[in-house]
Amino acid sequence: MNQSNIFKFAIAALASSVAAGEAGALDVDAAIPSYTKSAGVDGSLKSIGSDTLNNLMTLWAEGFSKQYPNVKIEIEGKGSGTAPPALIAGTSQFGPMSRPMKAGESDDFERKYGYKPTAIRTAVDSLAVFVHKDNPVKCLSLTQVDAMFSKTRKKGAKADAVKWGDVGVTGEWADKPISLYGRNSASGTYGYFKEVALGDGDYKDTVKEQPGSSAVVQGISSDKYAIGYSGVGYKTADVKTVPIAAKDAGACYDASPENAYAGNYPITRFLYVYVNKNPQKPLEPVRAEFVKYVLSKQGQEGVIKDGFYPLPPKVAADDKKTLGLN
Amino acid sequence: MEMAATAPDSPLERAAARASNHRVTDLRARGEPFTWLLGGCLSLGVVMIIGFLLLVLWNGFLTFVPQKIAVVTSKDGKVIAGEAFRAERFRPAPDVLAALTPDERSAVAKGDGMIGRTLYRVANFDLYGEDFKWVIDPDVKSVEYPADMVIVERLEWGPFIGRVEAITLDGKAVEGNDLKAPAVVKAHEEARERWARMREIERDEIGALNHDLEVARLDVRRAELKYGADSPQQRAALTELDRVTKDMQSQFARLTAEVQALRSTSDKYSVTFADIGDREKVVPLANIVRAYRPNALTFGEQVGVYFSRWGEFLTAEPREANTEGGVMPAIFGTLAMTLLMVIVVAPFGVITALYLREYAKQGRLVSFVRISVNNLAGVPSIVYGVFGLGFFAYVVGGTIDSLFFPERLPNPTFGTGGLMWAAFTLALLTVPVVIVATEEALAAVPRSMREGSLACGASKWQTIRNIVLPRAMPGVMTGIILAMARGAGEVAPLMLVGVVKLAPGLPIDGIFPYVHLERSFMHLGFHIFDVGFQSRNSEAGKPMVFVTTVLLITLVAVMNAAAIVIRSRLKRRFAGSQF
Repeated sequence: MNQSNIFKFAIAALASSVAAGEAGALDVDAAIPSYTKSAGVDGSLKSIGSDTLNNLMTLWAEGFSKQYPNVKIEIEGKGSGTAPPALIAGTSQFGPMSRPMKAGESDDFERKYGYKPTAIRTAVDSLAVFVHKDNPVKCLSLTQVDAMFSKTRKKGAKADAVKWGDVGVTGEWADKPISLYGRNSASGTYGYFKEVALGDGDYKDTVKEQPGSSAVVQGISSDKYAIGYSGVGYKTADVKTVPIAAKDAGACYDASPENAYAGNYPITRFLYVYVNKNPQKPLEPVRAEFVKYVLSKQGQEGVIKDGFYPLPPKVAADDKKTLGLN
Repeated sequence: MEMAATAPDSPLERAAARASNHRVTDLRARGEPFTWLLGGCLSLGVVMIIGFLLLVLWNGFLTFVPQKIAVVTSKDGKVIAGEAFRAERFRPAPDVLAALTPDERSAVAKGDGMIGRTLYRVANFDLYGEDFKWVIDPDVKSVEYPADMVIVERLEWGPFIGRVEAITLDGKAVEGNDLKAPAVVKAHEEARERWARMREIERDEIGALNHDLEVARLDVRRAELKYGADSPQQRAALTELDRVTKDMQSQFARLTAEVQALRSTSDKYSVTFADIGDREKVVPLANIVRAYRPNALTFGEQVGVYFSRWGEFLTAEPREANTEGGVMPAIFGTLAMTLLMVIVVAPFGVITALYLREYAKQGRLVSFVRISVNNLAGVPSIVYGVFGLGFFAYVVGGTIDSLFFPERLPNPTFGTGGLMWAAFTLALLTVPVVIVATEEALAAVPRSMREGSLACGASKWQTIRNIVLPRAMPGVMTGIILAMARGAGEVAPLMLVGVVKLAPGLPIDGIFPYVHLERSFMHLGFHIFDVGFQSRNSEAGKPMVFVTTVLLITLVAVMNAAAIVIRSRLKRRFAGSQF
């Protein structure tokens, strides 16, 4: 199943309800309710999972402990692949993931608990393709991206792309070799990019695998002929995002919130937090309140603070309903 | 040999060859080339170390110097305000060149084909959605440094650069918009005090209440596990829980009311700022860490800002996902972990070395053990991390949990990474250093002294305790210093056994039993990794990386210096008693 299609389906209908704020900065939609504190919440929480969501979880934890100073939250972020085992073993209460759980992972979970883990959509992210700020490239199609990153070229590119000239860059850049940066295989970003941009093909061996999203961006800032992928929230002034077209000769869309919400940017994704929720029982107060906080105005402001895009109000409301929270 | 290879023909050449050969032999004989080689290697090493230290110190110490705010007007009329962060020259792409005027283009072509650009830190992330902006030199119409530009360090959203629009104190607007007016300064201090008080109530007082409640709840659970549900013990615990809950509710209501009162007072104090494009932002006074006009600071004020930033860095807690605020919990964690490690590694290493050197029969087994110890020093540190996690945390910790803390399961207490397991893992990592150093030190104690002691009728243990060990102590200390230095700088294994990005509490606090060895903690080394490679904007994190590195190096140096002082005292004590 193609996740990008699911995403389009989920989000295109809601596009009209979200408006980006003035000049670059976003605002949380007014329909997302503000968080109100409730009584009797305490305990400790541990989150193990995605590195992309690492800072975001920390921001939420900081905000949440402002509301409930006594709640202790610990955060570990070494990659989405570490979330399911921790949830299954019970060592964590939250499993942030930058990709949906694979069938195998959720089956393992079900085998132990008898029900599936519950996914909460917490933010929208355009998985950006970054190049050095001086790179003249104007647009890349997913086929071209595939030709650069993949050795199997499942998207149907005829030839391998190893020089910038191979993807249509002219002038002095044409004969410069493309230097590839990517994430390590425990990362959800790695998995999502592989699925959507590479059509589940294999990465080239020359992709320099980095331990964190920020490391990818740093690699690109110091390597003029580099290209790499990472969450759009990690953009710095030294790199720029390349507009991406879903098909060859199709329209190019930049990694902007408008294009993400409209479903035009082809590698847009949700960022998830997984929880272990027994369908027969409500979540206990501390976890329920944390989820409510994440899906509230304050929580979504944290999303903006970290450079990602806040949820459309309908998505937030839907996920709250799934969890039985009001 | 060389003579045969060159085989000179004429007598003249032969003479010249002999002369040069003679000189070479002469130099060799005096060992000159080797002296030069050794000296060269040494100075290369020293230069590299000094260069590295200078780079780190220079960047680290400059980070907190207040920078001027430039207001840059470009030719198309756009205005930005920000601190110049760094500048570079680059070869412009054709579309950049096309945007220039013909004059500028020819100027670029006449030069080396490069143009300059400057990166400005424009801040105001909540308004712009970015922190930095590049401006290319030909685009700049004017750069000014207006005296009324203000930089505001906020608790949230990072810094703000703009001008003061209005100041509201106690609900009333204040004339003059002067942040340095005594009334404003006083109100700011009070607002910060209110904020600190709120934190104190929320964290310490409410935290203590919740801790009591948690203890009562765990007592119920423990009684249930031990005596069964509905047993008299469990009912007693339940009554106690009820009492604690009621007691807590009344106290909780009182504290919440106090926080509410503080908050509503705080809401009446705020400052309205406007960015360079006249977009307004209201910042509560309590959320302002400091605000100043960098372009109008006197030298004294600059020094004041510099040291106040250092003070915040050293004593405050991190905020905004570790990119701002201080590193106090990380300093604390590093120190606590290193000291705990020394407490574990010193006796363990010394006892092992004593046995190996003094008691064990020197044979194949002992030399096998010795080789193994030496090899341990070469095992990659991450392997120790995996071992620590698997053995200490999961096996030992898991057993401790099921024996002593069954009421808390499935939440692990010791069954996960923590301060104690981290210290144990590092102790394992550094124990070879201590063993080897101690063995050497024991071997260096003169045989005559042992024999003298034994001849006086002392037993073997008495000899070791009173004669050998004290004299070996300086050498042992050297081993411990080396172990400490290695342990404090290690990060990789710690990531597996208890270091976290954000620890909820310090490992030592005012709640019984005061030292919480099971807690996860923050570490300066990991903090450097986190800020440098994991933060949202790696550019903004860079200066913090250098400052934290300076701090870690200083911490290691201070700990080593302390150990060296102790060692030299020990040496002096025994200097007189040597033969």
